[in-house]
Amino acid sequence: MKRRIAIVLGLASVVLVAVVAVGTSYGAKTGTTKLTMWSYDNQDPGLEPVLKQLSKQFEQSHPGVQINLVFKDFNSLVGTVPRALASGNGPDVTEGNQGYQTDAQLVKAKLIIPLDKYVKKYHWDKLYSPSTWGMFRWTPDGKSFGKGPIWGLAQTGQNVVVFYNKTKLRSLGFNPNKMPTNFAGFDRLLAQVRAKLPKGDPVIEEGNQEGYGFIHLFGGIWGAYEKPANIRNWIYHVPGSRYDTPGTIRALGKLQQWAKAGYFNDDYNAVKYDNTAALFGKGKGVFWIGGDWDSTIIKAGLGAKNVGVMPIPPGRSGVWSGIGGLSGPWHISSKTKYADLGAEWLNYVITSATAKKLMFGQQQLPADSSANPPATDPYLTAVFQAFKRVADDNGLLLYTDWASPSMYTTLQNQYQLLLAGRTSPAGMANAVQSDWSKFDKTLH
Amino acid sequence: MLYRATGPSSTRRCIDLTAHAGRVAAAHPERAPRRLPRRLRNARAPGVPRNIGWLYVLPGLVFYGLFTLAPLVHTVYISLFSWDGLTAKTYAGLANYRTAIADHVLLWSFVHSGILILFYSVLPVVVGLALTAALTRHAVRGFRFFRTALFLPQLIAGVVIAQAWSWIYDDNGPLNAALRFIGLGSFVRPWLGDFTWALPSIGGIGTWVTFGLCMVLFVAGVQKIPSTLYDAARVDGAGPFREFYAVTLPGLRGEVLVAFVLTTINALRSFDIVYNTTAGGPGGQTLVPSLYMYQNAFLYNKVGYAAAVATILAAAIFVLAAIMLRFGDRGEPS
Repeated sequence: MKRRIAIVLGLASVVLVAVVAVGTSYGAKTGTTKLTMWSYDNQDPGLEPVLKQLSKQFEQSHPGVQINLVFKDFNSLVGTVPRALASGNGPDVTEGNQGYQTDAQLVKAKLIIPLDKYVKKYHWDKLYSPSTWGMFRWTPDGKSFGKGPIWGLAQTGQNVVVFYNKTKLRSLGFNPNKMPTNFAGFDRLLAQVRAKLPKGDPVIEEGNQEGYGFIHLFGGIWGAYEKPANIRNWIYHVPGSRYDTPGTIRALGKLQQWAKAGYFNDDYNAVKYDNTAALFGKGKGVFWIGGDWDSTIIKAGLGAKNVGVMPIPPGRSGVWSGIGGLSGPWHISSKTKYADLGAEWLNYVITSATAKKLMFGQQQLPADSSANPPATDPYLTAVFQAFKRVADDNGLLLYTDWASPSMYTTLQNQYQLLLAGRTSPAGMANAVQSDWSKFDKTLH
Repeated sequence: MLYRATGPSSTRRCIDLTAHAGRVAAAHPERAPRRLPRRLRNARAPGVPRNIGWLYVLPGLVFYGLFTLAPLVHTVYISLFSWDGLTAKTYAGLANYRTAIADHVLLWSFVHSGILILFYSVLPVVVGLALTAALTRHAVRGFRFFRTALFLPQLIAGVVIAQAWSWIYDDNGPLNAALRFIGLGSFVRPWLGDFTWALPSIGGIGTWVTFGLCMVLFVAGVQKIPSTLYDAARVDGAGPFREFYAVTLPGLRGEVLVAFVLTTINALRSFDIVYNTTAGGPGGQTLVPSLYMYQNAFLYNKVGYAAAVATILAAAIFVLAAIMLRFGDRGEPS
């Protein structure tokens, strides 16, 4: 008897679940147009609240439209988005990554559509300079970077800058209003800070667990020893360009020397990038060298008055440079039914006045070169100036991992080995150039 | 193998019909039919698997075929191609395997897996045996609770384990705090970020996970060893160590073998814990074959090569398990 009751209950619950499932899915299908967006701009504070707010407003002005924002961390998104797009059940609009690992793949497999017609429709050509558009151009076979149709566009300008704890500098006897204006001076300052700082406290708080921490930090050192144009050409696979130049090797040596001198926290390989920004915000270390997309996290910790922002000062060439460019490129899936609506959403979150205001509110810099930060926010103005200085000097070095599908892992491994003293600068340069050459052969 | 009746105490009489018919025929040649009647022809000794048995395993077999065998065959098929996962394949024959054999990164990843086997397999078995021996001599209060609690790590998802242990190993985490507290501050280091200690640290997580499984297996196994053997050993003057070597260990032979096979396979397959703690770093020191396969398939867009790595890994696990089972079965009382 008990057994029979159990069976009947079991069957009943299965039927109930089935009915509910069918019911809810049916209800969702009627009436609403649902758009799914994937993004790795998941910093909060940062771009995440901006996108959420803008999407809500977009839904209000477009009745019947539902925007489903999905935030993932960088590695997870980049690792899964090609397959998600190919399945047909993936996002309608998604961020990708410039370079050969992700965007080239998406273009080659015809998973995203060219955006040239939308560029014309919405006058997006006014957003950035022609040379900046290069990072979104691919020939349809995914082999040539920097030419061909436009496949994506970015929301914010981003670059890697130095954030410094003004209070701490003052307490050590330095004047935070008189920061060095050249690389040699900056190098000397770091040594002086190390000498005065207690042993357990790092000079530069750094988070490299995901693998891109040092890719970012190295940019400013690199630009002090090697011409930015050469670096960009190498990423674009311009024939004849090389990584293992004397300038690059000297720059790698300088980074290794910083590690040997004990400037970094000793757990840099175990702690995450955004977490170190938060730790720096709580007072650990004197400098944090990383992306300005974490500027709000730092402000939330130290307070706008106690933080200074500047790019790593230039080397002998006088060119201000650093890793950076624009934020992750937004793409429209080739399998979406709502390409036009997706483009309209992109236009709204990138160019509308509300969008710019919200971005500034979170210390994010609109990619739109005509945007000006409100004068009432000195911290934001400092972040903006740091970006503008490098952009105007044509010193944006893009992101080194764009250079081949395996470059990200190669750089991740090599930086870890270099900083631990387990490889030499020449050894690392050799390994990176081999990776580049192996891939370069497949392009010609 | 015929299943044998247990002796006169069996309540059912097992009759081997064909043997019976044969005996009748031999004893009375004039009565023996030239051909056995149908009933006897189709009869088999009890316990011999009959064709209807296939019907019983069919559902399970279908699932196994669909979700294990078919993908396995498909993976081997893909390994013969050069493919980026999204566009068309190009046939490459055994080129991927030739690359794999010459690949130093792959070789080192197997070395790292070998080191992990020490932590996932050997250490838990040894510690499990030691604890089992101790527990069988003295009854421990609350033993049922400990047995359950020690087994719990087996039930937790790998990602959760990895995240929790990342916090434990953190520079400001409880492990370093404990070391500082007991005065071993010089041992403090960023465990998962350290070139030498990242792999042993992951090994430590593995030991924690698989130790409970070994314990449960051994404790259950010890219960089937008749206590008369222990009494006999004690009468012969055996101390605790002798007892262990002469009675407990031989009695647990089967369980130890199972524990070794399961934990070794686990060690070679482990992906989620490594991926979520160090992602193969620092500098590739914790790269294991499964993670290398993932990188090739989803990051480098070399799915064909990843399939070759996967096939090699599967073959290695299969061979290792086969060797262990064969080695363990030798000397097994028949």
